[in-house]
This record gives sequence, structure tokens and C-alpha cells, in this order.
Amino acid sequence: MSLLTVDDLSVVYDQGHGRAVEAVKRVGFTLEQGEFVGLVGESGSGKSTLGYALTRLSKPPARIAGGRILFDGSDIAALSIEQVRTQRQGGFAMVLQSGMNALNPVRTIRNHFMDVFAAHGHVPLGARAARAEELIAKVELPASVLASYPGELSGGMRQRVSIALALSLEPRMIVFDEPTTALDVLVQHAVMNTIRQLQATEKFTAILISHDLGVVLEATERVLVMHDGVIVEDAPSRRILSAPEHPYTRMLLSHYGDPRAAEVSVPGLSRRASGEVSVAAPTTTPSPRRAAREPIVVSNVSKVYPARRRGAAVRAVDDVSFTLEPGMSMALVGASGSGKSTIAKLVTGVERPTAGSIAFGDLRIDRLHGRRALKRLHADVQMVFQDPYAALNPLHTVEYILSRPIENFVELRGREVRMRVLELLETVGLTPAATFAGRLPHQLSGGQRQRVVIARALASDPQVIIADEPVSMLDMSLRAGVLALLEELRENRGVSMLYITHDLLSARLVTDRIMVLNKGVVVERGDTADVLQRPQDDYTVRLLDAVPNPARP
Amino acid sequence: MTTTTDPVTPDPPVIEGRGNPLRVVARAIGTIWSEPKARFGVILLTAFILLALFAPLIAPYDPHDGSFPHSQDGSAAHLLGTTGVGQDVLSQLIWGARVSVSVALIAGLLATLVAIAVGLSWGYVRAFWGEAVGFIVNLFLVIPSLPLMIVIAAYLHSGGLAVIVLVVVVTGWAWGARVLRSQTQTLRSRDFVTAAKFSGESPSRIVFREIMPNMTSLIVASFFGAATAAILAEAGLEFLGLGDPNTVSWGTMLFWAQNSNVLLTGQWVQLFAPGFMIALFAVSMTFINFGVDGLSNPRLRERTAKR
Repeated sequence: MSLLTVDDLSVVYDQGHGRAVEAVKRVGFTLEQGEFVGLVGESGSGKSTLGYALTRLSKPPARIAGGRILFDGSDIAALSIEQVRTQRQGGFAMVLQSGMNALNPVRTIRNHFMDVFAAHGHVPLGARAARAEELIAKVELPASVLASYPGELSGGMRQRVSIALALSLEPRMIVFDEPTTALDVLVQHAVMNTIRQLQATEKFTAILISHDLGVVLEATERVLVMHDGVIVEDAPSRRILSAPEHPYTRMLLSHYGDPRAAEVSVPGLSRRASGEVSVAAPTTTPSPRRAAREPIVVSNVSKVYPARRRGAAVRAVDDVSFTLEPGMSMALVGASGSGKSTIAKLVTGVERPTAGSIAFGDLRIDRLHGRRALKRLHADVQMVFQDPYAALNPLHTVEYILSRPIENFVELRGREVRMRVLELLETVGLTPAATFAGRLPHQLSGGQRQRVVIARALASDPQVIIADEPVSMLDMSLRAGVLALLEELRENRGVSMLYITHDLLSARLVTDRIMVLNKGVVVERGDTADVLQRPQDDYTVRLLDAVPNPARP
Repeated sequence: MTTTTDPVTPDPPVIEGRGNPLRVVARAIGTIWSEPKARFGVILLTAFILLALFAPLIAPYDPHDGSFPHSQDGSAAHLLGTTGVGQDVLSQLIWGARVSVSVALIAGLLATLVAIAVGLSWGYVRAFWGEAVGFIVNLFLVIPSLPLMIVIAAYLHSGGLAVIVLVVVVTGWAWGARVLRSQTQTLRSRDFVTAAKFSGESPSRIVFREIMPNMTSLIVASFFGAATAAILAEAGLEFLGLGDPNTVSWGTMLFWAQNSNVLLTGQWVQLFAPGFMIALFAVSMTFINFGVDGLSNPRLRERTAKR
């Protein structure tokens, strides 16, 4: 008999007055004991809602509206809260995306284990310490971790601890909800490997919920693809890869590529080894406004953050030099803590270097003083932010957001400003512009918001754009569109671009030159295609290996 | 430039959904109105304001008129009785709303304005003089306000309404400034504030156009809190005889009632009625506060509007 049978399950979000939004629509599937299954979908597909329903963690306004979930033959909807609690031992458990923040900061890791053991009493008193050590070893952490407080551990270590805590109850099924999404790229890879090994040795049934088809295909045997609350495809991983049936699955797959390949392409954007770019279907006619004329010259720059209460001073950037030539696009890649975002802050004048100089034309960025000087810099050097949900003031309309830099930097007033706003919206592909101009940010999708952010960066007609992970918060299917837009702007307007990312595939798609940073030091630089195809440094190789690639054997 | 005569530029298409100030205010009221508890508060507050505005029409007698029999109990002619000097209590209560309600609203508004000015600039600027401002705010927070009020009011013994407003504002702004400052500190590190700097905005514009609208609900809440504190402080000062005893307000009514020992004569209504009005006014403020959460959250606003 199957371990889990989901039958015609619907989950709705109540919105009051009898209105409800159906997030999961009559879903049905079965899971065998010991299976490792992936659940893939983009934001809003209902995958997390389904995961919460399966583990009885749904909270109002979410509500199971119909169907049954049979776990080991009994309907979990019928369980009382106390029964749900006791069954966690030997039953079903969940590891959350923010699991690393679920630890109590004032209690040691050992205390966390002891709490679990005490609550269920399934481990005899004398054996508890040994059991805790055994569990922590399973997630590849040293036993010394048990004595530490959560604040003393890194994000990856804390996520491992929360996996070990889930394991401590020997559950038969664990739902992993985006367990590695909030972690650094390199750590992500290692934690995923641990989960895979654990599943193989402990033989629990696992469901891996993720937005990233690449990650899921690498780890699991079977994949459920979810779209708009419906499971559109349920097939073995190998078949998803070789013969995807549903168009949505095919669309998701088309957005993956190997940055090492001679020719890389995603829908709407492709790049060959020679560095030629082809942008499919440009949305505007080329109208070179103001090509970049000045280079940004960074010479021997270091940035040291003074020591906090505990620990030594942090050397975020160490003796970095580079030149961003006019019209060039350069990638700055590295894992978190590599100093890439600090360089962005230094180049935009937000922070000052500890040593070295940064020049934009004849403007010394490292010596800028006062708001007027900063404004002069920002007329030419603009920034695209990482998180489109945080970078737009929720109370201002798109028109207001875009008109401010126009009024501040360009000598336009009144209806000319409005004309320019509409023109900008058309440039970034938000048409009809007049309907978008009046909207508030929450009325736009993530991709549309990021286009507004890009439009704002363009408003002052800058020479240089610093893009700090501009697509990392977006769904896979939206990324290509935003990247194509950036590429097209560079082609048509001749702006230079500093593209900061940890994602080598996107770096390959939109940049000519690349600089790999590790702990503030440049470890490798050169032509993007060259470096990625023939990486010299071990760190670059590790970053390349961390790129999820479903096609990898 | 002669843009007006330029025939080439076509008119830009009309942008949908542009808000004008009047509609923003109407929407804010609508947001508060959609919460039943707040609706109750708004109705109560409106009643108080109408009572104050139309006092000459509503009140049966002149509140200063002492020609009635002294210390009467309630009767058809004098529903709440008369005072020790022969004035109609009901008329005094209605006329008293004028002074009490307006002092509460004006002092509350002024205290909130000071709190906004100090709290937002103090929270946004990361400079050493922030420490100095912090010291002053903390000073106002730790000084017990009632003794301070008494000292100031006694010192400026002219006793007019302006003095009472001034005293209430001086002693009432610090708490709001503190709250608004900590919220400003949270908001100033948001990406959209950094983005505004990249858009070339001036610091004052960042503070008042980007940050302040995001804390509307906090500001409104702090206004209602300040107004409540103001009406209590005003009544307190007048009860202690630090106001002008010849004005008619709920505080002076309490003062005179206490002076003529109404509890001993059994005319407890004279103490109870103004006290009840003050409490009711505070209740209306508290209930309106239930509805202000949606003000600076368009998402919340939309959800309540749909209901």
C-alpha cells in the first residue's frame, strides 16, 4: 500500500464574505514508502500551500475545501491537534525555507534536541546525549556544534541543525519546503547533497518543494510539476528531462543552460562563444541617446569594515582594480561574502574605500563630498536593485516613482515629464504605458516591478548601470525577459553595465567580461565565455558546479 | 521655452488612477470607516464636534447665567440640576465641549507636529547631533509631566487657553517623537529609500515623501493618543485651579463641583457628567485607532474595501 495517497484535494484561501481563492485544485497523487519526489512550480503555483496541507500545518485563511489526504491509510484531516503532535514521532515532518531562523537564539543546540526528546520520550534518558551526537553527525556537523548557540552558527549550519531536528523523530515522511533557497550558492549545493544522502541511507519518504527545476531534477527520482494549483505533469525525473509532455514543463526546462557550453540560449536571448549576442524581437527601435563616454577606473581599492564587538575587522574588498570601459558589460561574480556588493556600494559612492581610488571620468568617486556631488554622480551612474518588492515605495504610483529622477536630473517640467515617463515605460516593455503609469507597486507582478526599477535607473539617462542581482528574486520564466531587456538597453543606448551576480548562467548571457571574486580578492578575470569554458581557479569551478543543471548526468 | 505654443508635442494620454489630495483624504476616511469599531469612534467624535459647534443652539440656557435657584436636583427645567451659584449644569456641559474638545484637538495636533518634526529628522540623520536631540527627548520623557505642567502653568499664571495648549504640547510631544524615530530608523535602510537617493531626492523630500507616508497609521495613532492625553491634562490643570476658572469647560466644571462639595450635598451628577464626557471622548479616540492600520498599507486597504 502507498504511504501517502492524496485524493481530489482542494485547498482554498478564505477572503471573507464567502469568497475564496482556490490555491490547490483537485490534486491527486500517491507516494510509495522511501520515494524521493520533487514538487516544482513558480511562485503562486500552490506548491507550498500543498506542502503545508500535507503536514497539517495549514493555517487560516487557508483551508482544505475538499478531498482526502491518507497517510498510511488514515485520513490526516481527522486527526486532533494532540494526535498531530504525537504522530510527529514516526509520522510526518517538515523542514522550512526559514528553518535556520526557527531555532531559539538563547538556547544551545543540545537543548533543542533535549526538548524534542523530552516532548516525545522516545529516547531513554541515558541515551539522549549519544543520540544527539549521532544525529548531528548525520548532517555532517561536528559534535562541538551541540554546545553552541544558534547565533554562533552560519546559515547553512543552522539549516543542517533543523534537518537533524526533523530527523530526531524518525519520521516516515519529510516535506522539504525550499530548504536551500535562502542559503548561499555554494552552501546550497552541499546541503542538497546531505539531504540526498540522508534520504538514501535513512529511507524516509521525502518531498522536495522548489521553484528550481534544475535542483529538483538533480536530486529526485520523480517530479510533480505544478502550475496554477494543478499538477500538470507527474513523471520520473529522467522522462521529464528527455520527453517533457506539458508545455509548461517544456517552458521551465528551456530556461536552463550550461554556462560552459559554446552556445548558450534561453528564450529570447542567446550568446555564442565569440561573444556575439542576438536579442530576439527588439521592442523598440534603436535610438542612441547618449552612449557612455567615460570609463570607471577602480585602482587598488580595499574596504575594511571596523571590528564589531566580537571578532576582527572584516576586509570585504582587498586590492581590487578594474576598468569598466564605455559600453562594456562586465560581470562581477562570487558567493555571498565575496565583496561583490561592497564594490557596488563603492562605485556608486554609497560607501568610501579604505584605500585606493575610484574615478568616473574626471570625477573622483572615492573623494565625493556632499549631496550635490553625489547627485552629479548619480546622473550618470545608476543602480538596479536586487529585490523589486523592496525597491519601490508601496505608496507611490509608477508615474511618481519615474517622474522624480526626471525632474531631479533632466530639466523637464509638467507634461514633458509625463511624456518621458510614458516613453520610459515603453522602453522597458510595459505597454500600454498609460495604464501602467497609474498603478501602485502591489498591482504589478514581480517581473513588471523589476522593469519599473530598470526604467527608474534609465530616467536620468545614465552612462553606467550597476545591476545588483537583478533577476535573483524573479521566477525562472521571467528572468530571461529582464535579462534580454538589460542586454537590449546596452545595445541600443550604449550604456556600460556592471552586472553583479552569483548566477554564472545569467552572467554568461549578458556580459562580455567577467571578474570572479573570492573573499574580496579577484581570483580570475577575462572574457566571459573564455573564463567559463576554461576556468583556471578552483573557486570558479566550484561556482560552475553549483549552477543547477538538469542535463548533468 | 514656449512649450504652450509648440504644436508638435501631442497631448500625453490620460494616466489612469492618478490621485488628487481630496481623493486621498476621502479614501483615508473610507479606510477608517470600513472598520466597524472605528466607525463607532468616528460617529462619537463627530457628535462631540457637532455638540461644540452648535452649542448655542442646543444648550437650553446661557452657561454663565446664575439666575436660577441654587443647588437644584434634576428637574424638567434643569435636566442635570443647577450649580451652587445657580447655573444650569446641562448648558455648562454642552458649552464646555467647545473648550475641551478644541483644546484636545489643537494641542494633540501641535504635539503630533512637533513629534513628527523631531522624530523623523532625528531618526533619519546619522550624525552626532542626534545624540544631543536624544538627550533632550529623554529629558522630557523622564520628567514627570504633571508636576512640570503645574510648574509651567503656575509660572505663566495668566491662565488663558493658549497657555494650557502650550503646556500640554510641551509636555506631550516626546513620547510620539520617540516612537516615530524608531520607525524612521527601520524605514531608512529600506531599498526604496536608497533608490530615492539614487533618484537625486533631497533629504527632506526623502523623509516627508518616501518615509512619512509609510507611517501614516503610526502618526494618526499618535495624534489620537496625544489628543486623549491633552484632554486629560487640560481637565487636570483646570481641576487643580490652574486654568481660568471663568471659562466654561469640563475641567472647570470639575473644579467648581469639587469646590462646592457636591458629593456632600448629593449632587454627584456635577462631578460625574463632565468626567463621563471626558471618558467618552477618550473612548472615541481609542476606537478610531482600531481603523488606522490600513492607512499606510494599500494591500490591507484594498482587502477591507472589497468586503
